[in-house]
Amino acid sequence: MSFTIPIGPYHPALEEPCKVQVTCEGEIVQDVTLSVKYNFRGVEWLAERRNYHQAIALVERVCGICSNVHTLTFCNAVERLAGLTVPERAQYLRTIVVELERLTSHALWAGIAAEVMGFQTLFMICFALRELLMDLLETISGNRVHYGMNCIGGVTRDLVDPEVVRTTSRRVRQTVTDQLIPLFATDKTVRARCVGIGQLTKEQALAWGAVGPTARASGLTEDIRRTSPYAAYARVEFKVPVETSGDVFARVVVRLFEMVESCRIVEQALDQMPPGPIHGPNFVEVPPGEAVARSEAPRGELFYYVASDGTDIPSRVKIRTPSFVNMPTVRLMMLQANLADVPPINASIDPCYSCISR
Amino acid sequence: MDLEEIRERLGNMKAWVKRSEAWWLENPDLDVERMARLMVETGARLTTVTASRVPEGEFRMIYHWDLQGQLLNFITVTRQSALPSIARICPAADWIEREIHDYFAVNFGGRELPTLVLSGQDPPGIFSWNFEWKGKEGGHA
Repeated sequence: MSFTIPIGPYHPALEEPCKVQVTCEGEIVQDVTLSVKYNFRGVEWLAERRNYHQAIALVERVCGICSNVHTLTFCNAVERLAGLTVPERAQYLRTIVVELERLTSHALWAGIAAEVMGFQTLFMICFALRELLMDLLETISGNRVHYGMNCIGGVTRDLVDPEVVRTTSRRVRQTVTDQLIPLFATDKTVRARCVGIGQLTKEQALAWGAVGPTARASGLTEDIRRTSPYAAYARVEFKVPVETSGDVFARVVVRLFEMVESCRIVEQALDQMPPGPIHGPNFVEVPPGEAVARSEAPRGELFYYVASDGTDIPSRVKIRTPSFVNMPTVRLMMLQANLADVPPINASIDPCYSCISR
Repeated sequence: MDLEEIRERLGNMKAWVKRSEAWWLENPDLDVERMARLMVETGARLTTVTASRVPEGEFRMIYHWDLQGQLLNFITVTRQSALPSIARICPAADWIEREIHDYFAVNFGGRELPTLVLSGQDPPGIFSWNFEWKGKEGGHA
């Protein structure tokens, strides 16, 4: 006998709305319907009714976790349209803040994953780490969530005390290496909930357009920081962690190793960052034309298309977030899974519903 | 498969243009199903599709593909606000086409288009509604 269970719109793991309706035979999932319409705000439409500077503040609010990478990508697209060169120091500052944002996002995700698995101690370690990172971002920018760091042509604030960033980065790297990786990799509870669960093959990941850690856990190697470098990524060394098993565990492993690499990038950027200006002129003319920009957000490739008709208001802003393309793969991961594995599978792609429906 | 071979196999295309660190190819009569089959064959990933209104009442459509880190953009125009769906060839197009249908009421032939970001009772084309002075006829103010 089959039965249908509506999970949501309140999420089984995250405090964002989404509805996952699963149809089961016994405890085995036979079909899944996803509904992601609960956060639609028409951000693209709104961005086409504000000038370029106002649109920065708007796109920063697409997401409450990866807000900085939205403004970075939007500014990159506008800078390409306007033919602007960003000062070198600003490129390093952008790299540092966007990597700290990735660390914050991954720490949040790791904590939620631990909670979903019923591992409260691990949850608390992750959230203590996240608190440390949010305090650091507040020290740099004055804000814990929407940092307001990016402007067209550079950044809005310089780094006052690089040593605080360096010290925190080392502490984060040590916690991830000494505590998070061993706990996630070896703990019996974690392995029981993750290994062999929610598999996504490499072929499925490519066909459905998956990106970021979700794709790299299934054997795809693309990382926009490596294939189309922006900010200062061409000048720092880092590894792109890739796993091939395509299960929840692989997605855990990829993100944890990415955290170590993010710390390496931050520390290199601090070492290399030259003195100099942090932005260009305050007001720029954007000629008619169109441009695209891509960044590697915490959840994968973030895509912006911006078109200009020569006025101070963009004529078209298209935003494609990583969760928008990763979320449909959840259905494939859940088919034939045990009902009890639905929450960790869902959490394993680190879904952001604000980003999906915008 | 290199860019020139892709252009030749699509037939009747202008030359590739490079701008904003991406490649652009334009053809108002582009056969989007043929393009999708070719890109899937090359191992490309569909990044997204951008729809923009043009004065003639149609929509300029840009199919963005990632081919080994290069961004390839195929530009075409809708025909009577419609194009064939490529979702059966490339599953990644499923949600993309549904979202464009919600925003602009562009139709994609050969498939059903259930709402994605709009609630079920809302008519598609929310970005085409005129919020400034009156609602779409028969729709919402």
